[in-house]
Amino acid sequence: MSRADRHVSEELTALLDGVLEGDARTAVEAHLAGCAPCRAERDALARALAVLAAAPPPPPPAAGFEQRFYARLAREAPRRASFLERLAAHPLRWLVPATGLAAALALGIGARRTGEQADLEVARHLDLLESYVEVASLDVVESAEDVDVVAHLDELGGARP
Amino acid sequence: MAPDPDAALMLAFQGGDEAAFRALFEKHGRATMAFCQRFVKDPARAEELAQDVFLKLHQGADRYRPSARFTTFLYRIATNHCLNEVRRGEYRARPELDPGSEDGAPLDPDALPGPAATPEEEARGNALSRDVDAMLARLPEGQRAAFVLARFEGLPYEEIALVLGTTVPSVKSLVHRATVTAARALAHWSGKGADA
Repeated sequence: MSRADRHVSEELTALLDGVLEGDARTAVEAHLAGCAPCRAERDALARALAVLAAAPPPPPPAAGFEQRFYARLAREAPRRASFLERLAAHPLRWLVPATGLAAALALGIGARRTGEQADLEVARHLDLLESYVEVASLDVVESAEDVDVVAHLDELGGARP
Repeated sequence: MAPDPDAALMLAFQGGDEAAFRALFEKHGRATMAFCQRFVKDPARAEELAQDVFLKLHQGADRYRPSARFTTFLYRIATNHCLNEVRRGEYRARPELDPGSEDGAPLDPDALPGPAATPEEEARGNALSRDVDAMLARLPEGQRAAFVLARFEGLPYEEIALVLGTTVPSVKSLVHRATVTAARALAHWSGKGADA
């Protein structure tokens, strides 16, 4: 096979994949018009692509795929500090009333609870955190979740002291 | 680049939004496992690899930059992780393909399983899957990665080049050589001789 034929051979898959454009495409198509071996190779490649397109996809995962990952994530991923823990560690935490801070510290520091459980504890002592504005203004609100906690503290859970 | 909702989720996760990360997993987790199954046949191991990929994503979120599509970033992690797995030598090339169907007749790809496959169609589909897996296992790793990304993930050559850290001409060559190998290995499925 000549050097030009080998060159066209290398372009055939790109031609079938639609990535050849302009002069490159025109040149390959012109060559194919006059070259039976290259046309046969193109046709063989096209048949292979059709067979691959018809192949079944890999089987889906067993039931519980997402749950297994989240369980592994909980075991292996480093735990991010909760909103209350970040608040308690903030250097400007003095802006929060002392009684409120005491409650926040007691509830937040060292608590190895789920975020929802910690939020419910806060809700039971809402009146201790008198100024939500001060809390929100401290730069411990890092996510939409944290904003939601601040904005809806009095709606979490149902019990009030 | 058109707006990428996955990039927005990844940026939200960088800012601490764990729900955004879960949304990314629920959108791409199963497809990532299917991708991993192109490199390791065992579904349980493929699931572990997919979990590994998302754990890497979770732990390395700070490295993501929205200059590329999120899927490019995800595929890069997944491809490197799967190729490392294959390099460990646990997945050797299968024995020579068994040419033809059990009854010796060429197998018609149009007869392969659709939504309501007959047992015969399902058996043919399984046989084709085995042959495709065997063909993939014999490809050099660069060709295998480029071929899987092009043929099964549908990535354009430009994105494959970004995933593999190479050039578009290199991707063209890798995909072409792998397709030539596939044409020879799967010729009996189309009832034609190996012309490529």
